[in-house]
Parts: sequence; C-alpha cells; structure tokens
Amino acid sequence: MHTQRILTLAGAGLAALLLSATTLNAKTFVYCSEGSPENFTPALNTTGTSFDAARPVYSQLVQFVRGTTEVTADLADKWDVSEDGKVITFHLRKGVKWHSGVNGFTPTRDFNADDVLFSFNRQWKPDHPYAKISGGKYDYFSDMDMPKLLASIEKKDDYTVVFTLTQPDAPILSNLAMDFATIQSAEYADFLMKKGAPEQFDQIPVGTGPFQFVTYQKDAVIRFKANPTYYAGKPAIDDLVYAITPDPTSRLAKLKTGECSYIFGPRPQDLEEIKKDKNLTLLSQPGLNIAYWAFNTKKPPFDKKEVRQAFNMAIDKEAIIKEVYNGAGQPAKNLIPPTIWSYNDKVKDYPHDPEKAKAMLKAAGVTTPLEIDLWYMPVQRPYNPNAKRIAEIMQSDLSKIGVNAKLVTYEWGEYRKRAQNGEHMTAQLGWTGDNGDPDNFFFLRNCASAREGGQNITRWCNKEFDDRFNKAQQTTDVKTRTKLYEEMQVIEKEDAPDFPIAHSIVYDAERANVVGYKMSPLGAHVFYGVDMK
Amino acid sequence: MAADITLAAPIGTASQPSSFAEFWASFRENKGAVAGLVVLSLIVFVAIFADVLAPHSPLEQFRDAVKLPPAWYEGGNWAFPLGTDALGRDMLSRIMHGARYSLFIGLSVMAVSIVCGVALGLLAAFAGGWIDSAISRVMDLIVAIPSLVLAILIIAILQNPSLEKTIAAVTIVSLPRYVRLVRASALSEMGKDYVIAAKVAGVGSLRLMLRTVLPNCLAPVIVQAALGVSDAILEAAALGFLGLGAQPPTPEWGAMVGDGREFIRSEPWIVTLPGLAILVTVISINLFGDGLRDALDPKLKRS
Repeated sequence: MHTQRILTLAGAGLAALLLSATTLNAKTFVYCSEGSPENFTPALNTTGTSFDAARPVYSQLVQFVRGTTEVTADLADKWDVSEDGKVITFHLRKGVKWHSGVNGFTPTRDFNADDVLFSFNRQWKPDHPYAKISGGKYDYFSDMDMPKLLASIEKKDDYTVVFTLTQPDAPILSNLAMDFATIQSAEYADFLMKKGAPEQFDQIPVGTGPFQFVTYQKDAVIRFKANPTYYAGKPAIDDLVYAITPDPTSRLAKLKTGECSYIFGPRPQDLEEIKKDKNLTLLSQPGLNIAYWAFNTKKPPFDKKEVRQAFNMAIDKEAIIKEVYNGAGQPAKNLIPPTIWSYNDKVKDYPHDPEKAKAMLKAAGVTTPLEIDLWYMPVQRPYNPNAKRIAEIMQSDLSKIGVNAKLVTYEWGEYRKRAQNGEHMTAQLGWTGDNGDPDNFFFLRNCASAREGGQNITRWCNKEFDDRFNKAQQTTDVKTRTKLYEEMQVIEKEDAPDFPIAHSIVYDAERANVVGYKMSPLGAHVFYGVDMK
Repeated sequence: MAADITLAAPIGTASQPSSFAEFWASFRENKGAVAGLVVLSLIVFVAIFADVLAPHSPLEQFRDAVKLPPAWYEGGNWAFPLGTDALGRDMLSRIMHGARYSLFIGLSVMAVSIVCGVALGLLAAFAGGWIDSAISRVMDLIVAIPSLVLAILIIAILQNPSLEKTIAAVTIVSLPRYVRLVRASALSEMGKDYVIAAKVAGVGSLRLMLRTVLPNCLAPVIVQAALGVSDAILEAAALGFLGLGAQPPTPEWGAMVGDGREFIRSEPWIVTLPGLAILVTVISINLFGDGLRDALDPKLKRS
C-alpha cells in the first residue's frame, strides 16, 4: 500500500513536471479574476465578471479601441449612416472563421449576416426560438431602449446588414460596441437545437474572437486557447487561463508567487506593497464614473444659482479626495470624466473659498443659520468608497458658512427611489458609464430625466443645456457633438445644479514581465494584444 | 434623578435613624463596588466638564492630522494625546464628549423607565382585573421579542434615527423589568398587615399607593435602576454601532466604533478606544450596582 502510494505520487510529480515543461514552451497567461460568470452569453448578463469571461471568445459589429472608449471596426469593417441618421448600413468583414471543434461543433461556413440577425433577434423578438432559453431576460437590450429605438434589422445580402431606427441616435454605435451586442453563431444555435440541448449555447460558447473556449469549472478555472484563425492575427499568448480567486489577499499572494500574471482589483491597503515590489507592476486607470452631490433646484434656497455656487465654494474637495478616496480618485469639475471625448478641460472649477461663499449666501438673501438636509448613500459604490464620511466632511465645511446640515440616509433601494422622487434638499449620488459616450452621462441633467421619478435628481431643467443635449443626440458628426457637449459643460458649471465630487481610480496589478496590457476605462479586461517577456 | 431623592428618605424612617451610615458601612466593605463608584464618579466628572477638559472641539476636523496614532506611538503628537480619527478629529475630546451622551442616555432611560414602570406597576397591582391583565400581557409581549431587535424595529417605525429616538426605543425595551418588579413587590406588600391597617384606617387609595406601599417596594427598584443604566448604555451603543442611534457628527461611542471598524487592522485606536470607554463605563456601573444591591438587600446582608 505504502509503496504504491509513493509510486503514484512520483508518477503524478513526473506528469506535472512534463506538463509544466510543455507549458514552458507555450505562453500561458493566467488572469486571477474575482468571480465565476453566470454564463457565457453577455446579452443575458449585467455584471463585469460575466462580460470579462465571455469577451475572449466573441467579437461585436464594432468594438472599443483597446484602452479607450473610441469605437472602431470589428466584425463590421465599415458602415454608412444615412443623411437623416436613421439608417445604418454595416458592411461585414469577409472570411471570419468561427471556432471549430468546441462542443463537437464544426462550422461549415464563415461569419455572415445571419449571425448578426440571430444575435439581435434573440433579444428583440419574443417569438425567436432562442428568446426564452436560459431565462430569456435581456436587461441591457431593454434598458437601452433598443426595442423602442429599432424599427428593423434587415439582411441585404450575406455581408450587408441594415439597421433602421425610429429616430436618429448618435450613441448607437457606442451602444453596439457594448457586450450585450456580441455576435453569436446562428449555425451553432441550430446545431444545438437539433441536438436537443439549446441551453448549452450559453454555457459552451463558440465565437469568432481571439481565444477559443476549452473548459470551465465553476469557482475554479476557465481555460481558453489562442484562435489561430482570428481575423486580426493569432494572439501572442497561447493559453489564456482565468483562475477564479474571489479573495483579494490570496490573489495578491498568487501574483507574488507568479501563479497569476494579472490580478483583478487589489485592496487599497496593499497598493504600497505592490508599488515597492520590483516583480510587480501596479496599473491604475481613472474609472469611467462620477460621484456628485446634487442640489434639488426645486426646493428653496437651491432654486437660486448663487446659493448653489456658494455651496460649491464651501466644500474642500481636496480633503475629500485625500481622506475618503485615499488618493484613489481625482477631483471632478465636470459631469463626465476626462477619459471621455468632449471633456472640456477649459472649464474652471469653483475655488474652495468659504469667505466668498458666506458673502454670496448673504447677497442671495439667505439668512443663516440655514437648515438643510444632506443625504448620503448607505452603501459603498465604485465611484464613492464612503458617502457617509464625505457627508461628514461637507457637514463640517458647511458649518463654517453658517449652514447646519442634517445627515439623512435610507436603505439603498429606498434611497434611490426617494431621491428620484425629489424628496431631498441635497443628496449624494453617482454614475458609472457603460459605453463611453457622453450622452450616457449627460442624460442625468436633461429635462426629460428631471421628471418625477427620473434620474436627474437635481430637477434642473435648463433650456440651453437641454436643446444642446437633444441636438447632440440626433447628429452623428463627432465634431459637432463635441462642441455641443463642451458648451453644455460650461452651462452646467455656471448654473451649478450639483457639486461634482470625484472620479475614482480603478486598480489592477500584473507581473513585470507582462507587456502590452491596456486597462479599459470601461472596466473591461481585454487580453488580446498582451504578451509575456 | 428626582426619584432617588424621594426614595432614600422613607427607607431611613422605616428602619433605623442612621440608615445611610449603615448603608455606607455595608457598601464600602465591597472593594469592587467602591472601585466602580470611584471610576464612575471620574467619568461623570469628565462628562460634566467635557467642555473645559477636552483639548479640542469634538467636531473640529484637523485636515492635516488625519489618523494620527496615540501620542506615545511613533508619529503621534501630544496635541492629540489619543490620536485622531479618519477625519482628523481628536479622539480624546470625542471620547470625553461621548461620555456625556452615554451617561445622558443611560440616566434618561433609567429616569423615564422608573417613572413609567412604577406608575404602570402600581396601577396593575392596585387595579387588578382587566387593567392588570392588559398591562401584564403587553409587558410579556415586549419581553417576548429580543430587546435589540425590538429596539431596531421601533427606530425603523419612528424613522430618521436620532438620540431622542434611541432613548425612547431603549426605554420601551427596558420597561417590562420595572413594571414586573413593582407589580410583584406591590402585590406582596398589599397582603401585609400594615397595609390592611392603613386601609381600615380609611386611607385613600392614591395615598395608599404612593405613601404606604411604594416606599417599601423601592429597594429592588433602585438596584434594578443602577444595573439598568449599564444595559441602556450598551443597547444605545449597539444601536449607534448599527447607525441607528445618534447621527453624525455626534461623538457617541457606539457610532464611533461602528464608523471606525474598517480601520481595525490598520489604525486600531480609532475603533478600540471608544470600545474601551464603553467597557470601562459599563463595568464600573455594574460593580457599583452590585454593591448597591448587596448593601440594600437585607437578605443578602451578612448574618
């Protein structure tokens, strides 16, 4: 018994040695991720964890340039937009191969227009054969108002697809670069339907992306291998492994020993340690988000512009960045973060000047002490690590200009509901963008969202701002839109419906031998284009 | 506190002339109780004179001195003897002012519960019948729900937590103990000869309640009150910890522990010092209360 066990052990050891020898030649990149995906069809999901897991396998019609929010060609190599902006014609890339040999499926044809129709119709048409598979809830598709926006999607020929919209919509291209618009194989879907196992479609993915799916073990590992026929060229790494490691401390430990090449979100208190380690590189990226403090412009005295400006001057923004964000954030002056195009860097933030703020309050006819309420979120958000502590800093600063702020909070769901009903005088909130289009942020201050229950909790409805917003939504010319958005930022700053607090910084870490990784401002993890020295 | 003054006297007249001296003699035998009294007096002193004694305002945020450790550690500063919290507020000043809130909560809960408890307990004992049943069953109901859960429930119903609401919630939760105690001792006193004699002599029922029976029920109530203060402080601290008590920036100990718990590994003084303050206060009150019980309860006295 005993010797046998030793023999088995020795055998296992030898096998491991052999295995590692082979993997030494092949380049294996291990990403230590934070959790297991729900499935591999992004249209069904809403979490970054699930999107990250499916991304290596798939492509979309258009994609974000790695490390930016700029939209570029993917499966559609070019597209035309009609004069009125309502018709978009996508010319599809030819000769794109589907992954072969996954789940017993061998594709008989290249990617074509049928796949595009399949992918969108599944989410759009309730009578589609795949519409009800795997729960059949397409949150992003509905939340982005796609059912209302789409008039038709037609196949003109095998390599031309025409999207017709009910109204011009400039952000549509950015929206189509989001994960929910992933293109899946219609042929593979038919193959599984015939086999009587359609639910496998969302568990064992077949795509056109840079990596081909190998295996997935829940809570343990996802394996991919390089797709040699990827249209943009075979990836530099041969094997891509997602080692699922929910605990941030063990992720860091594994990174240090070299078990991981790249890790998701280290803890803030470990950042210094990573910076000091010569074998590791700390990556950081301003998050595509904003934390703000909204003034309810329907409630006096916040109906007065001067009062809102005075409040902007009263708060020590630097102290918030230093003490609450621990430096992992940058002070915000606009609603959109600087990583988004059309960010107007010429906008000047209000200085921290309590004396002037006091004088302005007096000039505006406000009698001090002024009693207000200040709402803070009960939970941590990606854009705001501790709303309560920020509220305490604000409270202290406000007391210096004769304003007594009462701190108020509710359970998170209740908080949003009440704030959207406009019950607050002032409230903290924030936003994380998901496609990098300024439209995805500015709708938070337009008139349509200022309705009862709308997301514009400042209730600010400025005609000049709103006209530009609508105009920008209906033109596709980026230059015109940029100009409009830049003007909107000036208007918003002048009218001060809110106090922009910060854009938080997102952290990841990698081994020093990893080259070419670019952090996505959208929080996505993309491993195509990465190599190891 | 008015209750204390009225209650000490009748016991004295009932037993021997120098009853306070006797009480004190018995009390100081108990070293723990004396220690508790000394520490408690110190805390009361600090609470009363917090404005004068505290080196800084408990609300002032020193933005250049955030998360400083206590002065005797490296990086500490004697301007902030116990260090500063996450917003640069002086820990020592906050703890000193926090003593005020904790003692205030403890004493107000005790005072209100004594008044309400005695009133309801006597009413139940004297009225009997359905009034007695009603009061007793409501008290049973309150006892049936775990006290902290009930307190959270009350705060949730009242909405917008505040110090006053904390006091109200903790009072309601601690009321049954007083009511039951008073009712039980009043019932047992009522069967005694001197009460019957008073009744025969034609004493009115209000006078009978307050002048004849009540003074003889008070000894256990005093002991319960002393121990109840520490329970009230603990419960209020738990509510504060959960964010349901005093609202920021009030330097309430429970809330300080709750806000500081994320620093337990990196800057432990932010969370341990207020916790220690709660511990010391509660222990000293309990020691004092135990001594009080031993000295006041004739059954526990040395034979």
